[in-house]
Amino acid sequence: MTEPSTPLRQPLDAPMNRRNFLRSTAALTAGFAGLAASLAPLRELKDFTSVDEFMQKYYKELTPAEMARVLKRIEDQVQREYGLRPHVRDLKPLDGVEFVYCLNLTRCIGCRKCVHACVAENNLSRNPEIQYIRVLRMPHGSIDMEKAEHNYSPASVPEKGYFYMPVQCQQCQNPPCVKVCPVHATWQEKDGITVIDYDWCIGCRYCEAACPYWARRFNFTKPTVPKDQLNPEMAYLGNRPRRQGVMEKCHFCIQRTRAGRYPACLEVCPTGARKFGNILDPNSEVSYILRSKRVFIQLKEELGTVPRFFYYFDV
Amino acid sequence: MNDAAKKRLVLVGLSVGCLALAGAFLLDLWGRPVSLEPILPVDPIFTNTATVRVSGAELVRTGGDASGLDCYTCHDKQKRIVLHFDAQQNIILSDAHKDLTMGHGRHNRNNHCFNCHDETNLELLQTRDGRELKLLESSPLCGSCHGPTLRDWEAGAHGRKNGFWSAAAGPFQRQNCVSCHDPHAPKFPPQQPAPRPHPLRPGGVKADESAKAH
Repeated sequence: MTEPSTPLRQPLDAPMNRRNFLRSTAALTAGFAGLAASLAPLRELKDFTSVDEFMQKYYKELTPAEMARVLKRIEDQVQREYGLRPHVRDLKPLDGVEFVYCLNLTRCIGCRKCVHACVAENNLSRNPEIQYIRVLRMPHGSIDMEKAEHNYSPASVPEKGYFYMPVQCQQCQNPPCVKVCPVHATWQEKDGITVIDYDWCIGCRYCEAACPYWARRFNFTKPTVPKDQLNPEMAYLGNRPRRQGVMEKCHFCIQRTRAGRYPACLEVCPTGARKFGNILDPNSEVSYILRSKRVFIQLKEELGTVPRFFYYFDV
Repeated sequence: MNDAAKKRLVLVGLSVGCLALAGAFLLDLWGRPVSLEPILPVDPIFTNTATVRVSGAELVRTGGDASGLDCYTCHDKQKRIVLHFDAQQNIILSDAHKDLTMGHGRHNRNNHCFNCHDETNLELLQTRDGRELKLLESSPLCGSCHGPTLRDWEAGAHGRKNGFWSAAAGPFQRQNCVSCHDPHAPKFPPQQPAPRPHPLRPGGVKADESAKAH
């Protein structure tokens, strides 16, 4: 401070005069404006989470009364957002039931109807597109993932020389995705379904990396579901609307199957290639298939994940 | 340049930088997802759970036009029906039956009306072992040749089974053979596939490079 003559070099404890007042006011205003503006990204966080949601306990620790409050909170949220009162349930696994899926590779024609029935049933994001089922087309002769193709789009299927293999969550008995979850937001229920608590997921995507079947999907954006296409029959661990930043995956249509119905992908399959049921019931069709058909593979059997999803062939 | 001037320069620089950043945030210059390519809503035919064809029984049940199932509006009950074959032993269909495709099996030995229809009563079907069945209850006829398939069907393993897997929760529906298979050409008809998945990134996977992506 050798030349204190210019106003810019006024020390901070300079006496208050008109010029200093205006200058500091301008600086302060600009500062606040800048601060407010730099916080602008936070505007997107409105409706991000409610206090109830933030304070919600872990799924397995919720008492029935607390669960009822949570379900009501979800119903209110959905109604606010979609203008439609959903029916959200917390369906528990049934006693003496273990679900198994069997898919007949001889019958599958690769029409992808299962993919879109699943999207409609489970309120999956339409754009960006999230799909739980991927139908692989492979040349006859072997199950070679290197030659698998899921972007096929001929005028009609099946195509000569190819077979089709739909892949979705295999509901492993030894699920790698569950092991890597740092917050226990995903776990295996006793009926064999590996579920995700969307309110507990932190979106780290470890499970997506761990899954050898590419079965888990991440909501990079808020899922978009047209209001008129929302399926109002929902389950807490199933198809209720997801937030941005959480994982999701096939849950064997928990909202249907735990209520005794077949999953949506099976209902729509035109050829009857998809079979689903209770493996603990010796009279179920899946028991019959595993007993009497050439159950050829569990996908990537060598990994020791022990899928509950079986691919088989007609003799 | 002395210390104070440097300090001032740094402060002014920081302020200008912060203000520029603030302006950029306000104007949303970056950090916004690029607008996604529109994805057309999927055609409802791809989520329709109906069977690929309508069987005669279903037509009668739903009150549709079943006049085509009444053989004796055209045929004469008293008159014996004579079938005609060409030199390759393919059956020659009359004009009234030109809508049929005769393609049961990979050879033409089964392209003979009276392998299944009863030549003495067209309202009946006949199995090879001499049983008579009503025209709209054809599944046992199919099963008389396709035994293992009938066994699978009865166990719920062949063909469509819809509704409830749990008998305690509700009923299930099973489709008849002819709800999916045309008895005259039973191979399952080719279907139009639903749209392929759209890439997550805009312009991600093009159709031509799709062969490499999996």
